[in-house]
Amino acid sequence: MDESALERYFDDSIADDSSFILGEGLGIQSHAHPTQGSTPSLSMKAGSGTEPGDDLDLSFLPDDLSSQVEPGRHNMADSQTAALNVSQDSGIFTDFNSQDSTAADSQQGAPPSVPVPSPFCPMTPMTPMTPMTPVTERSGIIPQLQNIVSTVNLGCPLDLKFIALQARNAEYNPKRFAAVIMRIREPRTTALIFSSGKMVCTGAKSEEQSRLAARKYARVVQKLGFPARFLDFKIQNMVASCDVCFPIRLEGLVLTHQQFSSYEPELFPGLIYRMVKPRIVLLIFVSGKVVLTVVC
Amino acid sequence: MCPALNIHPSGDALALPRVTCPNHPDAILVEDYRAGDMICPECGLVVGDRVIDVGSEWRTFSNEKALKDPSRVGDAQNPLLNGGDLTTMISKGTGAASFDEFGNSKYQNRRTMSSSDRAMLNAFKEISTMADRINLPRNIIDRTNNLFKQVYEQKSLKGRANDAIASACLYIACRQEGVPRTFKEICAVSRISKKEIGRCFKLILKALETSVDLITTGDFMSRFCSNLGLPKQVQMAATFIARKAVELDLVPGRSPISVAAAAIYMASQASAEKKTQKEIGDIAGVADVTIRQSYRLIYPRAAELFPPDFKFDTPVDKLPQL
Repeated sequence: MDESALERYFDDSIADDSSFILGEGLGIQSHAHPTQGSTPSLSMKAGSGTEPGDDLDLSFLPDDLSSQVEPGRHNMADSQTAALNVSQDSGIFTDFNSQDSTAADSQQGAPPSVPVPSPFCPMTPMTPMTPMTPVTERSGIIPQLQNIVSTVNLGCPLDLKFIALQARNAEYNPKRFAAVIMRIREPRTTALIFSSGKMVCTGAKSEEQSRLAARKYARVVQKLGFPARFLDFKIQNMVASCDVCFPIRLEGLVLTHQQFSSYEPELFPGLIYRMVKPRIVLLIFVSGKVVLTVVC
Repeated sequence: MCPALNIHPSGDALALPRVTCPNHPDAILVEDYRAGDMICPECGLVVGDRVIDVGSEWRTFSNEKALKDPSRVGDAQNPLLNGGDLTTMISKGTGAASFDEFGNSKYQNRRTMSSSDRAMLNAFKEISTMADRINLPRNIIDRTNNLFKQVYEQKSLKGRANDAIASACLYIACRQEGVPRTFKEICAVSRISKKEIGRCFKLILKALETSVDLITTGDFMSRFCSNLGLPKQVQMAATFIARKAVELDLVPGRSPISVAAAAIYMASQASAEKKTQKEIGDIAGVADVTIRQSYRLIYPRAAELFPPDFKFDTPVDKLPQL
């Protein structure tokens, strides 16, 4: 029953995708689709899902994405940028929004022209997180997402020993850590599954991949016989990196931006810049590499 | 007995009654310490007697046998830091009557003098011990105590070990006074790890909303060079080399300590007093491979880095190449 409900939900989410308009401010709690009545507690943003009647055989779970890649692809790019809009802080200038939509618009032109890649990587992390520069000075530097950490509540207590024995790619060492560590190959992620039913999913390179991976883990748990649901999916942390391609004088930066920067060469070779709006922490290095972290 | 005192409550803030001579209200009274009198210089009238002498009662000399110190006033108060504590406590009894039948002293309660400030007093003692180990002057210790008091009262770092906060305060005080000590030097006199001191340092800066200046290579030259026993010429040369290297950006991203150590190595190798990388590494707290790395970066332009008036014992082209 739960499985069909999840399938139905996935269908509905795909239907929801096409209705998203770029640049629109979206809440994480998406507009509740009327047919979601059966699972009212599922508060998810739309994302890719499975086709109805698709055979998701979990015995070789990682490789089972081929069928839903293409149709969902265009929508994914859509929802990705939409997702990025949401995941940015609310204190965004209006021109940023318009920039983003223009950037995303140009992105939209891109996916159809990109040759269909192998079914094993539906998402390339090319969606830009447009830097906050005025329209006249677009640097063209695009940070690449490296890691996304998300949490989801499966909504039922789990028997970790059973899961560890039955599932593939699962390790469980209760003396060391009280959770099952499960890995899937596609998207390449790791999940920590706790006995309370809560799960942490790490290693994804985009928000959509993170949600997809979390759903896959939930499906694994469900197929093992637990009444798993997909409650409160929330992205907790995102890490991206980029390169400005010129060396940076950190001493000068700490002199001018003293209240935001912390540069202690004895403690860490990089300068830690805590930007207030948007609330992002940047690690800036002498070589010109920059690592951006945001807590959602 | 004594004539009527004309006590005029004065209009100033203190509002203490001031004694004046009844015949000469404007005369400034002279104090006679031996007799305890206040005498009017105009007419000789003894205006106030039994004046309390506020000088010290006993003088204690350090070379005398200090079996019994008759002074009853105790140590000077530190009102800035302790909140003006005026409590007294009962000391250990001396006579036979103070012990009960089992030999235990009858009055035992010497504890709980000021429980709220006990942690702070402990911390001050710890700060004093740490500072003493590296011979820090009184002004740094005072500044550290003040910083600790501010942090302690704010309670934002309450969960952290007091020793860690004290060590971090000591580090900040040294920085603020313009004589920074490296984290490793503070670690050497503290039981807290460098990581924890670093964490507390950042938290304290945020809590007190202050910032500190960036460390430069010159801050450490005099200390490292004198610990190594290098003459003044070498120290000045090393300072010049390090500053020039940073100006020419030959060592991007290297910690100033490492650059300073490499500069000292180059200067000492060019002079008569040659020091090995290991010796310099021990004093500066950097690994000798680190010195080697930084030295490799400054070696190619060694000729421009030396000060123009330096007397070379080993010419620049004969400097060791690692």
